[in-house]
Amino acid sequence: MKLIVENLEKKFGKKEVLKGINFTFEKGKIYGLLGRNGAGKTTFFNCLNEDIDIDNGNLLIEDDTNNKRKLEVVDIGYVVSTPTVPEFLTGREFLKFFLEINEKKIDNIKTIDEYFDFMKIDKEDRDKLLKDYSHGMKNKMQMLVNIIAKPNILLLDEPLTSLDVVVAEEMKQMLKEIKKDHIIIFSTHIMDLALSLCDDIVILNNGILEQIDRNNLDDIEMKNKIISALKEEENV
Amino acid sequence: MFNTFIQSFKLRNCYKVNSIIYSIKQIPLIKRILPDSLYKSLILKIIGNIISIIWEISSIFLGKLIYIAAMIFGMMGLYTTNSSGTFLTIFTFLTIAGSLMNTYMFNPTKDKYYAMFIMRMDAKKYTISNYIYAILKVIVGFMPFTLIFGLIANINIGICILMPFFVASCKIIFSTYALNEFERKKVYINENKPVRFIWIIVGICLLLGYGLPYVGVTLSEIVFLVISILTIVVGIFCIKYILKFNKYREMYKSILTEDNMNAKKTAEKQVKDNILNQIDINEKISSNKKRFKYFNDLFIKRHSKILLKSAKKTAVISLFIIIGVIFVTLLNDTFKTKINELLMNSLPFFVFVMYIINRGQVVTQAMFMNCDHSMLTYSFYKTPKSILLLFKERIKSIVGINLLPAIVIGLGLPIILYVTGGTDNIYNYLILFVSIICMSIFFSVHHLILYYLLQPYNINSETKSSTYQIANFITYMACFYIYQAKMPTIYFGIGTIIFAVLYVIISLFIAYRLAPKTFRIRV
Repeated sequence: MKLIVENLEKKFGKKEVLKGINFTFEKGKIYGLLGRNGAGKTTFFNCLNEDIDIDNGNLLIEDDTNNKRKLEVVDIGYVVSTPTVPEFLTGREFLKFFLEINEKKIDNIKTIDEYFDFMKIDKEDRDKLLKDYSHGMKNKMQMLVNIIAKPNILLLDEPLTSLDVVVAEEMKQMLKEIKKDHIIIFSTHIMDLALSLCDDIVILNNGILEQIDRNNLDDIEMKNKIISALKEEENV
Repeated sequence: MFNTFIQSFKLRNCYKVNSIIYSIKQIPLIKRILPDSLYKSLILKIIGNIISIIWEISSIFLGKLIYIAAMIFGMMGLYTTNSSGTFLTIFTFLTIAGSLMNTYMFNPTKDKYYAMFIMRMDAKKYTISNYIYAILKVIVGFMPFTLIFGLIANINIGICILMPFFVASCKIIFSTYALNEFERKKVYINENKPVRFIWIIVGICLLLGYGLPYVGVTLSEIVFLVISILTIVVGIFCIKYILKFNKYREMYKSILTEDNMNAKKTAEKQVKDNILNQIDINEKISSNKKRFKYFNDLFIKRHSKILLKSAKKTAVISLFIIIGVIFVTLLNDTFKTKINELLMNSLPFFVFVMYIINRGQVVTQAMFMNCDHSMLTYSFYKTPKSILLLFKERIKSIVGINLLPAIVIGLGLPIILYVTGGTDNIYNYLILFVSIICMSIFFSVHHLILYYLLQPYNINSETKSSTYQIANFITYMACFYIYQAKMPTIYFGIGTIIFAVLYVIISLFIAYRLAPKTFRIRV
C-alpha cells in the first residue's frame, strides 16, 4: 500500500505554505518529517486529515494490486501533540465505545483489558474519568485508540516530546512493532529521535517535501546533511 | 531616578504606540493593505506617538472631568442641601473609596512587568518615580475641575485648590497601609480583585457620600478643611515610608502574575474549568446502550447538573409559579382579569420565557469543551455517518430534556386560562399548549443546529469565528423584541406553530446535508 501525494498546494491568504508537494509514502516504514518552525508540517497533516480544504492536488491510496482510490478520513489516525480524549468518559468506557463503533474494521478483536495491558495502563486507572488522567496516560489512550483501528496511515505530531523517558521508550518500541502494517509519518524537531526511530527522513522546507538519503552516512554526517539541507532551502 | 523614569516612560510609550499600530491593523479592510513591516514605518510611529500623547493627556484630564461632572456635580440636583456642603460630602467619601480602588501602585499592568522583570529595571527606582508621576497626574488632573465645579458650587477658592491634594494624600495613605501589610504579613493587594473588606469600605463610603446629604447632613467647609489638612499631614509622613520601603521587587513578583495581568484570559480559563467541573464523577453512572447511543447516554448522564437536574428544577419552579398564580387569581378579581387578558394577548412574552429556560446553549458549549474538541480529532468520529448518528441522538436528548418544563408550562397556561374565566374560542386552550411545546422544540433544535453548522472553536477552545456569536445574539434580540409584542393568542399561536414546524423540518434537512462538512474543529 502507498500514500501518493500529487501536487498538493495550500495557501493562507497570499502565503503559499505548501507549494505543490509530490511524494509517495510506503507501508512498513516510519517517515521522520522534519522542518523548521512554521514550515507547514501541521498544515500538511491537517490537509491529509481533511481538517482544512486543499487548494490543489490529489491525495491517493494505492493498494497492493496497484488500484488507486481517493484518500478518506477513515484511512487516517492522527495523534496530536496535546492529547485529546473525551473528559467525561472513563478509560474503559472510551475503549468500549470505540471498539463497538469500529468492530467491523478490527480483525480478531481483543478484550478491553488486553488492550489496556498492551498499552501498560494500570488496573486502578482504567475506570477513572479521563479528565483525571495524567498527560502521559491521556497520550497513551489517544495512541491506543488510533492504533487499534489499524488505520492505513498514522500521523504523529510530536507525540513523544512531553512524555517521561519510560513511557516514551515504550511508545517507541510499540511504533516499531506496528510499523509493518502502517504508513507512519512522524513529525518532530528532535533529530536524534528521528534518526533512531525513523526509516526515512523527509524534510518539509520552502513548501516542498524532499527525502534525505542516508547513503551509509553515520548519524553525525546525516545530521549535518539535514541541517545544511534545511539552511540551503532558506536561501532560495 | 529621573533617568529610570524617562526610560520607563519611553518603554511604555513604545509599547503603547505598537498597540495602537496593532489596533489599526485589526481593522478589516486596512489590514490587507498594511504589511507587517509597519512597525518600522517612521510616519506611523509619529502618528502613533501623537495618538499616544493625546491619550496620555486625556488620561490626565478627561477621566477626572467626567468623574466630577457626572458623579458629584451632576448628582447635586438630587439634594435640597446647600450646594457646597453636598459637593464636599460626596467628594470626600468618593475620594476615600477611590483611594482604595484606584491606587496605581497595586494595579497589575503589563508595562510594570516588562520594565521590572523583562528589562530588569531597578524596581524601587521604577516604582517610586512612576508613582510620583501618577500622583502628580492626580493633582494636575483634578485641579482645573475642582476649581471650576467647586466655584460654581460656591466653595471657597482655597478649599478648591486644597481638594486635589486631599485626593493625592488619601491615595498615598492607603498605599502606605498596603505596603505595610505586605511587609508585615506578606499579603498583597490587587486593585483589580478587591478583597471583601475593601468592598465593604467602598460600599459604606458610597452610602455615606450619597446618603448623608439625602438626610440633610453635609460637611461644612471648616470640617472639610480640618479633615483635609490632617490627611495631608499624615500623607506627608507616609511619603517617607514609601520612599524607604525596600521590597518593591519582591512585592511585584507576587502581584504581577500571569493570572492577575491577563484578566480576560483567566476568565476564559475559568469558564473552561467550570464546564469541566460540571462532569458528574458519580461512579455508579453507567449505560446499557450501544455505540453512539451509549456515548450520548453517558454524556447526558454525566452532565445531568446542567441537563436533567436543571430541567427538573425549572419544571418544579414553573409548577410552583403556576399554582401560585392560580391561588392568587382565586382571591383577587382584578388580578384574575389581568391574567386572563395576558394569556389571550401576550403569548409573545412566553417566547422569551422559553428562550431563557432552554438549556441548548449551555449544553452545546459543554458538548464542545468536554467532548467534541477531543473527539473531533479522531477520524472515525468525523465520518458523515458518525456525525449524523450522534446528531440524531443529541437532538432526541436535548428536545426530550427541554420538554419537561415545557410540558408543565404548556399544561399550566390553559389551566390558568380556564381558572381565570376561560375563553369563547375553545381552540385557545389547545393552541396555548401546542405553541409552548413547539417553542421548546424550536429552541432545542435551533441551538444544536447553530452549533453543528457554525462550530466556532479551535482545538484550544478559543473562538475562531464570530458568526456563531452573531447568530446567538440575533436569536436573543429577536426573542427580546417579540416579548414586548401584543397579539391575540390564537393568531400568534398558530403563527408560532407553523413557523416552528417549518423551521425544524428545513433546518434539520440543511443540517443533514451540511453538518458532515461544517462540523469540524476550526484551524
